[in-house]
Amino acid sequence: MKKLAFHTMILAFCCGMMTSALAQEQKAAAAQAPAAQPPQETVCFESRKGASEVTKRDLQPGWPNVKCSPKTGAALWYGDPYDGTVPMGKMPGLEKIPEGHAVVKPRSEKLAILPMCATACHNGVGPAFNPPKLPKDKKPIPIPTMEGLLPDAKDLQHGRGRIWCLDCHHTTKRNMLVDNYGDPVSIDQPQLLCGKCHGDKMRDWRDGIHGKRIGEFASTGKKRWFTCTECHNPHNVQDGARNKGFVQIAPEAPPQLPKGMKDAKYERVHGIAH
Amino acid sequence: MLSASALMGSAALMTMSDDAKAATEWAEHFQKNYRLMTDAEKAEARTRLERRYSSEYGKKVTVDTTGPQPGVLMGYALNVRKCIGCRRCVHACVEENNQSRGTRPGEKIEWIQVLRMERGEFSKDKMNQGYPEGLGIQVGGNAYTPAGQVLEGQYRYEPEAVPEKDATYMPIACMQCEKPPCVKVCPVRTTYREADGPVVIDYNWCIGCRMCMGACPYWARRINLTTPVLPKEEMNPVTHYLGNRPRMRGVVEKCHWCLQRTRQGRYPACVEVCPVGARKFGNLLDPESEVSLILARKNVFRLKAELNTFPKFFYFYD
Repeated sequence: MKKLAFHTMILAFCCGMMTSALAQEQKAAAAQAPAAQPPQETVCFESRKGASEVTKRDLQPGWPNVKCSPKTGAALWYGDPYDGTVPMGKMPGLEKIPEGHAVVKPRSEKLAILPMCATACHNGVGPAFNPPKLPKDKKPIPIPTMEGLLPDAKDLQHGRGRIWCLDCHHTTKRNMLVDNYGDPVSIDQPQLLCGKCHGDKMRDWRDGIHGKRIGEFASTGKKRWFTCTECHNPHNVQDGARNKGFVQIAPEAPPQLPKGMKDAKYERVHGIAH
Repeated sequence: MLSASALMGSAALMTMSDDAKAATEWAEHFQKNYRLMTDAEKAEARTRLERRYSSEYGKKVTVDTTGPQPGVLMGYALNVRKCIGCRRCVHACVEENNQSRGTRPGEKIEWIQVLRMERGEFSKDKMNQGYPEGLGIQVGGNAYTPAGQVLEGQYRYEPEAVPEKDATYMPIACMQCEKPPCVKVCPVRTTYREADGPVVIDYNWCIGCRMCMGACPYWARRINLTTPVLPKEEMNPVTHYLGNRPRMRGVVEKCHWCLQRTRQGRYPACVEVCPVGARKFGNLLDPESEVSLILARKNVFRLKAELNTFPKFFYFYD
């Protein structure tokens, strides 16, 4: 009897807790709802999470620019392949493509701290830069602020210890990359940098074999080209939860099971008649 | 005579009917096979269907009848090393091509199937194990290792994240054969090869006998056993007569390389959505196109090449 009473008490206590918790959640939801309702934006990621994204909008009634997966949040369908793109700029080997037929989505828009790089810290002023001098060796000096802003920099997973920051980032213009001749190139044109080492991949990319292009399929048609860093994270191309060179992502929903099959493991358990 | 005139009268009434669906259905009974239709008849059928679909789905629906473009032979290539099995192509195809998307048996139709295969290997300790045991059909690997046996349920894989360490993925859909077995067996000649490559179906002439489904060695064809479930808001209003226009119950459908897009020069939906860029599409007659360059440069194979179906869908690896 005593035990029962004790259990009842626990149950009552839990119920009370739950109702209060639920009420709190509801309150929170109610508080969030008016704030979240006006924009009603659906943003989906394109190739990998954390790189380029598209915001859903209607081009015509019932004809959106993109459809997003409700399960994973990935872009599932393109109505307008050129959404938010700019001309690619000069690219050696692509002279045959008519002007304006090669477009890219600027990477700089997605890199939040990029505008600050060359102004806030790497601005060429301060005791370390007066007179301007470069580090003696290629061992990166741990700078807590830098590592805080960019955790990948702590243990660079690219080049297996053979490369460091300034092999890719320009020495004096830190918001730019370096091309073959050491000249600064825009961060929107990483292919000019990556092709220095990965020449075979760049050749295939230029011909449309490696990487991804969307738009018109004719070889001179207008295409949106996906640049290197839209699919690969340059600071982490080696390790992590990856297989076959790709960071693992959640798959979309599986197809319907055939009639009579209860679950995907059914055959393993029950066998099949041949 | 009286009955004939009565029939004609009712026919006239049906055609003039305000109900777009009834008028269309009546007119469709007298419609020829698409290949035998004149341009005027095609235009008529197009107007009829546009009217019907627009009223049915509550938005402006276009039915394209653009024919094959000269100098184009479509080809497709897929990098099997790159595929991560994320199934985005499967769902892009459904978004684009107005497949049935119900939840009851037979109501959910997907044209692309992503096969999951276990990796096979040659290892010393497995050399004397003899032939594989266990369930299923061996589709890969080798005689010494049971890896590569695939059960149908495995295609319904649903791990937390893909690619899995021990799996390889191989998407299959219609291979758009140059010598398609499905075309050979069709008793009503409603499925045929278009001049620019894809094998298409005139849905109005399909009798649903499913001979083509049995003949296809690539499991590419699907039948609408039930009335297709296609919500109004999810319907893609840009359609092609031989492509993604809404189908009726009892007809077979399959991949047609997004004819409504490719005839207008766009990439198919699955190519545009592949996050790893494994899917490639281009004009085989253009030596500069990506598919031509892949054929020239990469290691290419065709699925079940020994059947002499001559697919225009090529698998390749780096």
